[in-house]
Amino acid sequence: MARKDLLDIASLHREEIEFLLDQSTSFKKLFTRSVKKIPALEGKSVLMLFYEASTRTHSSFEVAAKRLSAEVTNFDVAHSSITKGESVRETIETLQAMRTDYIVVRHGHPGLPGMIARQTTASVINAGDGAHEHPTQALLDAFTIKEKFPDPRGKKVLIIGDILHSRVARSTSTLLQKLGVEVAYLGPGSLVPKYVPASIRRFTDYEAAMAWTPDVVYLLRVQLERQDVQFFPSVREYHRVYGITNTRLAEISDLGLYIMHPGPVNRGVELCDAVMDYERSLITNQVENGISVRMAVLDWLTPGGDFPKQEAYAAQPRAGSKVILP
Amino acid sequence: MILLQNARIATENSPVLVESDVLIVEGIIQNIGTKLAIPEGGRVIDARGRVLMPGMFDAHVHFRAPGFENKETITTGSEAAINGGVTGVVMMPNTRPALDSATAVATVLENAKVRSRIPVYTSGCVTKNREGKELAEIEGMRGLGVKMLTDDGDTTADPAVLLRAMQYATEFGMFFASHCEVLELAGPRALNEGVMSYRLGIKGSPACAEEIIIDRDIRLAHAAGAHVHIQHVSSKLGMETIRWWKSRGDVKVTAEVMPHHLMFTDEHIGDYDTNYKMNPPLRTQADCDALLEGLIEGVFDIIATDHAPHTPFEKAQDFLSAPNGITGLDTALVSLYHHFVEPGKFGWDVVVKRYSAEPRRLMGLPVAAIEVGQKAECLLFDTEAETTFTKEFMKSKSQNTPFIDQTLKGRVDMVILGAEILLER
Repeated sequence: MARKDLLDIASLHREEIEFLLDQSTSFKKLFTRSVKKIPALEGKSVLMLFYEASTRTHSSFEVAAKRLSAEVTNFDVAHSSITKGESVRETIETLQAMRTDYIVVRHGHPGLPGMIARQTTASVINAGDGAHEHPTQALLDAFTIKEKFPDPRGKKVLIIGDILHSRVARSTSTLLQKLGVEVAYLGPGSLVPKYVPASIRRFTDYEAAMAWTPDVVYLLRVQLERQDVQFFPSVREYHRVYGITNTRLAEISDLGLYIMHPGPVNRGVELCDAVMDYERSLITNQVENGISVRMAVLDWLTPGGDFPKQEAYAAQPRAGSKVILP
Repeated sequence: MILLQNARIATENSPVLVESDVLIVEGIIQNIGTKLAIPEGGRVIDARGRVLMPGMFDAHVHFRAPGFENKETITTGSEAAINGGVTGVVMMPNTRPALDSATAVATVLENAKVRSRIPVYTSGCVTKNREGKELAEIEGMRGLGVKMLTDDGDTTADPAVLLRAMQYATEFGMFFASHCEVLELAGPRALNEGVMSYRLGIKGSPACAEEIIIDRDIRLAHAAGAHVHIQHVSSKLGMETIRWWKSRGDVKVTAEVMPHHLMFTDEHIGDYDTNYKMNPPLRTQADCDALLEGLIEGVFDIIATDHAPHTPFEKAQDFLSAPNGITGLDTALVSLYHHFVEPGKFGWDVVVKRYSAEPRRLMGLPVAAIEVGQKAECLLFDTEAETTFTKEFMKSKSQNTPFIDQTLKGRVDMVILGAEILLER
């Protein structure tokens, strides 16, 4: 099924996920060639609309788009009329008038990419919206795991850290479960709320979580900037209770577990320095795979398409409710 | 003269509808009976099959004037009320300037006399500019008929300020209406904390943020010997807290519930639909069920709408940026019928008692009733017809409601106030 936008993982069907991961494999083969560029999106324009800081995701999308021969425009939020008080909706109206084909958007407000998608003919890709979703991160995580476990069904991934504020945790856990992977969360009770989905095991004790025998330990960055109140007493205590210390890294190494992290890493907080030399660390693999996954996504979406709206979380029909346009 | 023939009359005391003719002469109900003589020169209305009931009274509305007339005015707000079968309202004081002085209140009341076809009452602020610090000039507002004091939209955060206000104003026969929210717990956004807030990635507001203040303010009223009215209760434990305090019988506490908190859950927010963004937020089905139980049992004295208009531009923003609140006056009565009366969950008596009689008693006003000698203040409701809440149908200046473009069972056909027919379909 063709889609106009990629807004979340929740609404993706398993077949679509498998297709995107297969395509990513094909695109990755390009990387070993001397000429890594193909003309798939020649003549198409990609607008990068990043309201939040980003290194990996931004550059990864930019490289991916350029390898597909698309024209890339970086919308400079810091020098735009946003600083003069222009609302996102007004910005979108302006951008719609420019008839860009793709908009890659990151914003601190959940659901905002969906709002843009409804107002533009461009294909909108959610590059992270608040604590909601980060679908391409989830796809690259799954791709990275599938490289190590071609049939990941029944494998176990333990996600450790600030689940409450993490869009990565939401997207990646949703996607992995769709592939048959078992997922568990570990973190302080203040950051792993009791109402996380029942399909995900919830641990607040490191030893108990390790007794669950994970295959992959996925660390999240502790997002101190999103924490408006104190969720744990100190970084030092966090590292001691939930971080991968030198001792724990040795245990993980003995067990042969893989370590993943979406970056950027807070060394000394969620991970000790030694993890950088850990041979089963997949952190750089994740970065590399991000490009081929994003190429697959850009290639897959169809700008201007007239497709049914993605029904993400509508638990029951909402007759009559709709977005009010001006 | 108006003769309503064969109307089915609803009262607050019985779910049974009694079919009768009702004769209105010079705005007063002169006779009720069968086969009343057709008055010469009078208007005869065949009301067969339709329900005749007192006009509703909404004790919690935001008419946005002065200060936010782009959202609503006293005229458009009161026309929305008439459209929904409501013949009297109490405005909240979160206008700009806030209604925290006799001057501000007088301006609104004078405006309302000219600009509204129904009586518009207003509450007054507890504190100056609703800032929770200095007491508003309460006695001056009493002189203009203000009975209800509230910093609605903002909890009076400092309990000492509220306690002093209660001790002071109770002497004047006034009561306090509490918007219940611990801001430090509730955070800035109106979404229930739970499964849905996790899925949508929005910091949720836990029910305890509301329940703590419900309990606190009743305790303060208990200490001060005051009457406290708990506004827009949304949670099961909130309802149970009020029930417990009422069962003690040593504090005067009343409470209200909104139609939307009875009908919708946080699941309805779906894909960030801002028409379901309100404060207190929509919670879970278990909360809805408990609120319905509380309404039928009488834990909730009144139904009110918290009619909160916002412009389409404001509501068309993303979920975090959009303001809280939905309109309710155009839709409340029909939606109550559609969701509860028609399916047999409660009778018309609950509607009449909780949305017409008790709100007037709360405000110290005479109760509108279909009785001989009473002023005619009533409406005809067609239970077989349907209402489609299109933009054109709504009389409110704003259409920020989950019911937009929905078709529900039931229709307000006619609204009569005194000798005047305010609405006829």
